Amino acid sequence: MHLLKKEMQILKMKINFTKDQDIFRQEVRSWLADNVPKESLLSLDTKEGFEQHRQWEKTLNSGNWSMVTWPKEYGGRGLDLIQWLIFEEEYYRAEAPTRVNQNGVFLLGPTLMEFGTHEQKSKFLNAMATGDHIWSQGWSEPGAGSDMAAIRTTAVLEGDNYRINGQKTWSSRAAYADWTFGLFRTDLDSERHRGLSFILVPLDLPGVTVRPIPQLDGEPGFAEIYFDDVIVPVENLLGGDGEGWKIAMATAGFERGLMLRSPARFQQTAAKLLNLYIENEEHCSPMMQSKIVEAWAQSESYALSIYHTASKMLAGGSIGSESSLGKIFWSELDHMMHQTALKILGASAELSNSSEHDAAQWIKGFMFSYGGPIYAGTNEIQKNIIAERLLGLPK
Amino acid sequence: MNFNFTEEQTQFKDVIKSLLADECTPSSIRDGWSAKKSFNQSRWNKISELGVLSSNLSEEDGGLGMDQVALALMVEEMGYAGLPEPVAEQTFLVNDLMPLFPEGLKDEIKSIHESGNQYIALAHPLSPNPLFLGHAAALLLFDESTYQFILKDDLNFKPLASNDPSRELSAIDSIKKSISSSENFETLNSAVTARGSLMTAALLIGLAQKMLDLSSAYVLDRNQFGKPIGSFQAIKHMLADIAVEIEFAKPTVYRAAHSLLDKNPKSNLHCSHAKYMSARAAELACKNSIQAHGAMGYTWEMDLHIYMRKAWSLMACWGNEDKQQDIIYKTLTTSKDELGVLYTF
Ligand SMILES: Cc1cc2nc3c(=O)[nH]c(=O)nc-3n(C[C@H](O)[C@H](O)[C@H](O)COP(=O)(O)OP(=O)(O)OC[C@H]3O[C@@H](n4cnc5c(N)ncnc54)[C@H](O)[C@@H]3O)c2cc1C
Repeated sequence: MHLLKKEMQILKMKINFTKDQDIFRQEVRSWLADNVPKESLLSLDTKEGFEQHRQWEKTLNSGNWSMVTWPKEYGGRGLDLIQWLIFEEEYYRAEAPTRVNQNGVFLLGPTLMEFGTHEQKSKFLNAMATGDHIWSQGWSEPGAGSDMAAIRTTAVLEGDNYRINGQKTWSSRAAYADWTFGLFRTDLDSERHRGLSFILVPLDLPGVTVRPIPQLDGEPGFAEIYFDDVIVPVENLLGGDGEGWKIAMATAGFERGLMLRSPARFQQTAAKLLNLYIENEEHCSPMMQSKIVEAWAQSESYALSIYHTASKMLAGGSIGSESSLGKIFWSELDHMMHQTALKILGASAELSNSSEHDAAQWIKGFMFSYGGPIYAGTNEIQKNIIAERLLGLPK
Repeated sequence: MNFNFTEEQTQFKDVIKSLLADECTPSSIRDGWSAKKSFNQSRWNKISELGVLSSNLSEEDGGLGMDQVALALMVEEMGYAGLPEPVAEQTFLVNDLMPLFPEGLKDEIKSIHESGNQYIALAHPLSPNPLFLGHAAALLLFDESTYQFILKDDLNFKPLASNDPSRELSAIDSIKKSISSSENFETLNSAVTARGSLMTAALLIGLAQKMLDLSSAYVLDRNQFGKPIGSFQAIKHMLADIAVEIEFAKPTVYRAAHSLLDKNPKSNLHCSHAKYMSARAAELACKNSIQAHGAMGYTWEMDLHIYMRKAWSLMACWGNEDKQQDIIYKTLTTSKDELGVLYTF
C-alpha cells in the first residue's frame, strides 16, 4: 500500500509574491509615479522624439532602472528575473515611454553578458545603461531575410582592424541610433553559417551611410545601412572570429523569448481592450464577447507561462527552441487584440488622428502588430524550428 | 514566487507514467471496448495499491496528504494514457470535496473507502450521466439545490452509450432511498464545478499531447513523393500549431490547481481559464492530427481515435468552451479592476 508515499513529499510550488517582492514593486511604482513624463513623448521614430526617448533612458539610469538584472558594476541592480517581470509590470501599468534602447538592453545586453570580455562589458553595458549608445540590429540583408545564413556583407581582417563592405537592411532604430551589432562574413571562402562573426559597429564612422525607410505609419522606424570600406578595430568582435552564428542564435533566443516581449505589455493591451469594449458595448454584437475573453485568457496564459519559464531558469534551467512557441503566441495574440479593438471602434477605426477612445493609438498599434509575425524570425520559420527541433521532424 | 515543480513531483509523475505505459496500452483499451467492460479491475487495483486513489485525502483519512497541484500532474498522465477507469473523477471530484461534506455524509464516504478500493460515482448537471455506475459502491448526485448520497443497491439505472466506448455511462431511472442534503450547497457546488473544469482540463492537455506525439511519429514513418510526409512544411506547421496551444494551456492548469490549494478567491475563474485553454488545445489537436494522418486517421483501426474520442467527451462535459467563456466574460465585465497585470497571482 501507498508505495508512493516514501518517494514524495508534499509539493512546494508557491506562486505568490513574497513580501520582499511586494516591497520592490512599491519602490518601482513610486519611482515611476514621480518620474514618468506627464505628457507623452513625441514618436521615437522622429529625430526630436528619439532624443526625448534617449533623455528618458538617462532618467531611468539616474534611478538605476536601466536593466535591473545586470550586475551593479555595469549599471544594474543584480536582481533576478522575477523582479525584472515585476519591474516590467509596473512599467507598462505606468504607461512609461517605449524603450528606445531595447535592442541594446534586452538583446545585446544579455549577449554581452554571456560572450563579452570584461572590457567589452564595462565599455558597452555602461554606455548602454546611460543611453549614450543607442543600438540597432544588423542581421537582415537584401538577399538574407529568413535565410540569414545567406549574409554577404564582409568584414576582412587587416592587422588590428576589420574592413567592412556591404549592406544591411530593415535595421530598427538605425535612422537615429549610434551603433549597430550584427553578423558579418569574416571568412570569404566560407558558406552558410560558417565563417560569420558578431561585430559591433559605430554608425558615425567614415564609409557608413544610413538610409531611413518609412514604415507603414510613414515614419522611418527602420533603415538600410551601407558599409563602404568601414574600418572597425578587432576589439569590437564579440566572441571568437567565425563564432558569430552561435552567438546570434543566443541573441535571437532572447528576442523571441521572455526578454523583448514581457507579458505585462500584452496584459496591459488586454485590459485596455476590455475598457474599450465596456465603453462601446451597446454598439457591439455578442461576437465581440468571445474576442474579449480570448484576449484576457491568452495574455494571462502568456504571463503564467513566462513566470513558469522564469522560475525554471532561476532553478538553473535554460530555454532553447521553446522560445519559438512563445514568439508565435504573443505575436498572434497582439494582432488579434488590435484587430478586435478596431472592430469595436467601428467607422472611427480609420481616424488616424482621433483621440476619442484612443483611436489613433489603436490604429498605430494595429499596424505595428502586423510586424510581430515577421520580425525576430517569421512565424513560419518558428514553426519550422518547432517541428524540427521540438517534434523531431526531418528537415 | 516559485512556479516550479519539485524533484519529488517529477519522480511521482514518472511513476504514474510508467505504470500506465505498461498497464494502459491501446490494445488493453480496445479489449475493454470489445468486451464492453472498460473498467479493468486489475488495473484499478494496481493504481489503488500505489495510493493514488486516496492520494489527496489527509493522512488521518488514510491518504497521502497530497495537494491539488500534484493531483493535476498525475491526472495529466491519465489523460495521456487514455485511462478508462475513473481515477481522476474519484480523486478530484469525490475525495477532494470530502472536507466540505457534512459529518454524516463524510462518514458514509469514508466507510466505503475503508472497505477496500471502492469507487463512488458522481453526477452533476454539468456531467449528468455517471461513469461506471455498475462498478460503483454509491453515487453522489448533485442537482440545482441539493445533493444526495445513494448506495448502489438503492438505485435503478440503465446504460447509455457514449461516443467514447471506454466511458460507460448510465441514466438514472429511480432512487429508492438516499441521504439528501442542501447543507453548504453553494460552496460544495462551486467546489465541484471548479474541480470538474480543472480535472477535464488536465486530462485534455494529456490527451492533446498524446495526439501530437502519435502524429509526430506517424508523419516520420509515412512516405509520399519519396520522403516522409513530416518533411512537408504544411504538415510541420499543423503540428507546430498544436505544440503552441499545449504550451500555453499547461501553465493555466498548474495555476488553477495552485489556486485551489491556496484557497484563492478567484479559483473558479482560474479553473474556467484552464478548461477554456485546454479545450481549445485539444480541439486543434484532434483536427490537425487526423489531417496529418490522412485517411488512416479516419479509421477505427488507427489508435488515434482512442484518444480523440475521449477528448471529444471531455471537451463537452464539465462546462465546454462556450460555458467557460461565459463564466470568464461575466467575471471580466463585473470585476475588471481586479484582473490583469497586477492580479495574475
Ligand atoms: C517591423 C520590423 C522590424 C525589423 N527590424 C529588424 C532589425 O532591427 N534588424 C534586422 O536585421 N532585421 C529586422 N527586420 C527584418 C526581419 O528580420 C525580416 O523581415 C525577417 O527575417 C523576414 O525576412 P524577409 O523580410 O526578407 O522575408 P522573406 O524571408 O522574404 O519571407 C517572406 C515570406 O516567405 C516566408 N518564408 C521564407 N522562407 C521560408 C521558409 N523556409 N519556410 C516557410 N516560409 C518561408 C516568410 O515566412 C514570409 O512569410 C524587421 C522587420 C520588421 C517587419
